[in-house]
Amino acid sequence: MGRFLGSRLLFYIAAFMVAVTFNFVLPRMMPGDPFEIMFAAAQGKIQPEQMAVLKEQFGFVAGPWHVQFWDYVKGIFSGDLGPSLTYYPTPVTEIIAGALPWTVFLAGTATLISLFIGISFGIFAAYNRGGKFDSMVAPTLAFVGAFPQMVSAMLILFGLGVVLDWFPVGYGYNPDIDAGWTLAFFLSVAYHAALPLITMVITGIGGWLFLMRNSMINTLGEDYITMGKAKGLSTRRVMVNYAARNAALPVVTAVAMALSFVVAGALLIELIYNYPGLGNEMLGAVAGRDYPLLQGLLLIIVVCVLTANFLADLAYFWLDPRLRKQ
Amino acid sequence: MKNLLSFFKGNTPATVGTTIVLVFVLLSVLAPWITPYDANKRVARGHQPPSAEYILGTTRSGKDVLSQVIYAGRISLLVAFGAGLLATIIAVLVGITSAYVGGKVDSFLMFVTNVFLVMPGLPMIIVLAAFLGQVGPLSIALILGIFGWAGGARVLRAQALSIREKEFVTAAEVIGESRWRIVLVEMLPNMVSLIVGTFAGAALGAVMGQAALEFIGLGDPTVISWGTMLQWAQHSSALIVGAWWEAIVPGIAIAIFAGGLTLFNMGMDQVSNPQLKGSKNLKRWKKLNDELEAQRREKLAATKRQNQGGVSTV
Amino acid sequence: MIENANQQAEPLLNIRGLSVEYLVGDTRLRAVDRVSFTINKGETVGLAGESGCGKSTLAFALAKLHKPPALIAEGEVLYKGQDVLAFNDEELRRFRWKETSVVFQSAMNCLNPVISINEQVCDVLSAHNPTMNRNELQDRAGELLKIVGIHPDRLNQYPHQFSGGMRQRAVLAISLALKPQLIIMDEPTTALDVVVEREIMDQLSELKEQFGFSILLISHDLSLMGEITDRIAVMYAGKLVEIAPTEDVLFKPQHPYTKGLINSFPHLFGEKKELTGIPGNPLSLYSPPAGCYFEERCSERIHRCKSVDPKLVTLHTGHKVKCHLFSQS
Repeated sequence: MGRFLGSRLLFYIAAFMVAVTFNFVLPRMMPGDPFEIMFAAAQGKIQPEQMAVLKEQFGFVAGPWHVQFWDYVKGIFSGDLGPSLTYYPTPVTEIIAGALPWTVFLAGTATLISLFIGISFGIFAAYNRGGKFDSMVAPTLAFVGAFPQMVSAMLILFGLGVVLDWFPVGYGYNPDIDAGWTLAFFLSVAYHAALPLITMVITGIGGWLFLMRNSMINTLGEDYITMGKAKGLSTRRVMVNYAARNAALPVVTAVAMALSFVVAGALLIELIYNYPGLGNEMLGAVAGRDYPLLQGLLLIIVVCVLTANFLADLAYFWLDPRLRKQ
Repeated sequence: MKNLLSFFKGNTPATVGTTIVLVFVLLSVLAPWITPYDANKRVARGHQPPSAEYILGTTRSGKDVLSQVIYAGRISLLVAFGAGLLATIIAVLVGITSAYVGGKVDSFLMFVTNVFLVMPGLPMIIVLAAFLGQVGPLSIALILGIFGWAGGARVLRAQALSIREKEFVTAAEVIGESRWRIVLVEMLPNMVSLIVGTFAGAALGAVMGQAALEFIGLGDPTVISWGTMLQWAQHSSALIVGAWWEAIVPGIAIAIFAGGLTLFNMGMDQVSNPQLKGSKNLKRWKKLNDELEAQRREKLAATKRQNQGGVSTV
Repeated sequence: MIENANQQAEPLLNIRGLSVEYLVGDTRLRAVDRVSFTINKGETVGLAGESGCGKSTLAFALAKLHKPPALIAEGEVLYKGQDVLAFNDEELRRFRWKETSVVFQSAMNCLNPVISINEQVCDVLSAHNPTMNRNELQDRAGELLKIVGIHPDRLNQYPHQFSGGMRQRAVLAISLALKPQLIIMDEPTTALDVVVEREIMDQLSELKEQFGFSILLISHDLSLMGEITDRIAVMYAGKLVEIAPTEDVLFKPQHPYTKGLINSFPHLFGEKKELTGIPGNPLSLYSPPAGCYFEERCSERIHRCKSVDPKLVTLHTGHKVKCHLFSQS
């Protein structure tokens, strides 16, 4: 057990280092001097001496590039991502700490809900193959899922938010309510999360549905399903414990591969709904040429995706006893 | 040719999907002749609703949405197919090399592929694009191609591995066929359907990726594409002021084109996995089965009635 | 039901005119054509024939385990007098495994890979005995494994942790869980090597002695059948062509096809004999002939065979043949 998970962990650390290297290489590769651009974009907010500090943070210290790289890496692992330009002098880590929970909440909840619904629908569609649900409802959901997420988000924002005015458009919670462990706050959070969540769930269901359905159809052809029926087991037991338990395995693999797309979708949705997560910060950072913030955001997003992948690995390991040591 | 036609027969997703894609390609090619107005010129007042004159309405700056969306299609399609082609070529090279050469080369290539797979592509592309300033369609196609090959590579490698195990490849090796010939003549022809599927998938990802990048504002604002149309719509708060056509039209264009590619992919899935095909046959079977079941129940009920009748008369 | 005054010992299973068709596009192919035979209590009947002759299709149809595109077109399967094919869902569920269980060809494929052996034994126990509690279930599962020679400690392991022979024994154990009257075995040893095959067959004979169940043994291996069956039925292209007590089939085969089958197997000892196979190809069900299905490959055909399909004729008690060589016009 340890070996399998251990090797996955090593892989994720290697992947993270690739991202760190990417961050390191970028400012050195781009046309022009990044610091001049940042300085210009800052429009006088930053003094030249502060620029020097920034340069240091980026690793542009004296010495050959591998010294610079080592310095940079040390900085990352000690939690120093430098100051943000647009929010100068607030450190990047602080901004990330503020935005991260919102993105994790949105993306995490949406993924869990759409997975649960999508997989259940997929089982049902395979069971009633060719029936009304499978030939009409399922393809419709898939079609809705194929819409570019931004468009679906705009439509839902327009329909439910503007026209029907059922839910608020924008922000994580009502700014008049103080953040804290109060019921009022939680309700407000839920209320404001409704539209983005609805958008993400509706666009996500179709994909999971078809993944599970197709996997189920393949699994239902196996001999152990026939044996399950021959044993006189209830349909429910055959469908869930015999079919779904096995059909879920390739789906978990596919989920892991799709996680980066889920995150990308979440970012775009935050943009449209003005939701205070990492995506929103990213947009601002792009406009303001806030390179430190951008790079910091990238790293944290990478960490999130890698963590989610690791969780998916754990889930697969738990589901498939063939991976456990004899 | 016969193989091509048999691909479409009974395969609704493939037929519909291909038709949609071809229609879009046709419209793009014929753009200069079929658009009623110059897509770049202001032809009316801003935010005119759809009418007989301007079938899909006008944008904030008074340009005809219909003409724009058709012209935008050219760029969007070009980028999508260009990125798709690049991604597919890399995927084929990596996948087949990895499978055929094996050993350390395979381990290394798989490591690289897995890293690309697990990395969140869009945020990385955004950061890259931000550093580069603005990126025109060509750059976007390049970037999307470079980031989009990993999934296809993994799939193609798996298939190449299983083909490699097959006896006709071993036979070719024993005869002494050169490696190149084996790959090109023995293996590739068997992988055509998967490669085409990879291309469609990569193009699909590229359409969405391009739209996302341009929507955020990283695209070249002087080039009309569906993504930049969406961005302008967002900027002019089209939806909020009620000019829904400015936002919805490019969105629907992307959606339908993406839908076409997705359907095509579903069709390809059915080819490689025939079990997923033909729910029509299943329906027919269900009908017949139910009929036979009903007959048996009828017979049983009739026998029961007969026996009961028998007891009372004896 | 009305009592019959001179009722003879009712067969356990009475298959009457069973036909199974495959729906391919618009065509219905007859994979099993009006097959009738019986299995008595405690009897072991072998069902032999080459691949594709319909024996597995028949076997699965007996408990309505056929999958699309197979259709049971006509016939009855009378178990203790009641037609299994007309059972409703609940009756069928209760019938399955309790009265008739199935041993599949590949134990690796018929065991659920993601749940433990224990769970796979217990779920069938509790599906038919909902009142049993966890401990009772576990104890019974342990007993079953012991019967086939597997240590109960292995209950919590998974199928992939068992060796090939052990898996097949586990499958045997599961098939006995509810003490069924009839066990249908579809090529139970084909996937195993000879040594393991020997173990399994010995185990099977022991269990048969101990519990007294009937067996329908499907195989293409006639010599294997010779060891354990009381009667053998031979199928060709979906039709039953010969059925008789085992010694009669093996040593005095009447149907030309059966003769060809017997002569295809070499003897391990004794003098070298030239093997005669059966020339020609298996029948294509798409364009069945008007006459005897075997006529094309038969070395003893006569003129009638091409145009008229022979009837199943009884020679002496028990021995039936479907061949013009034995039927009067």
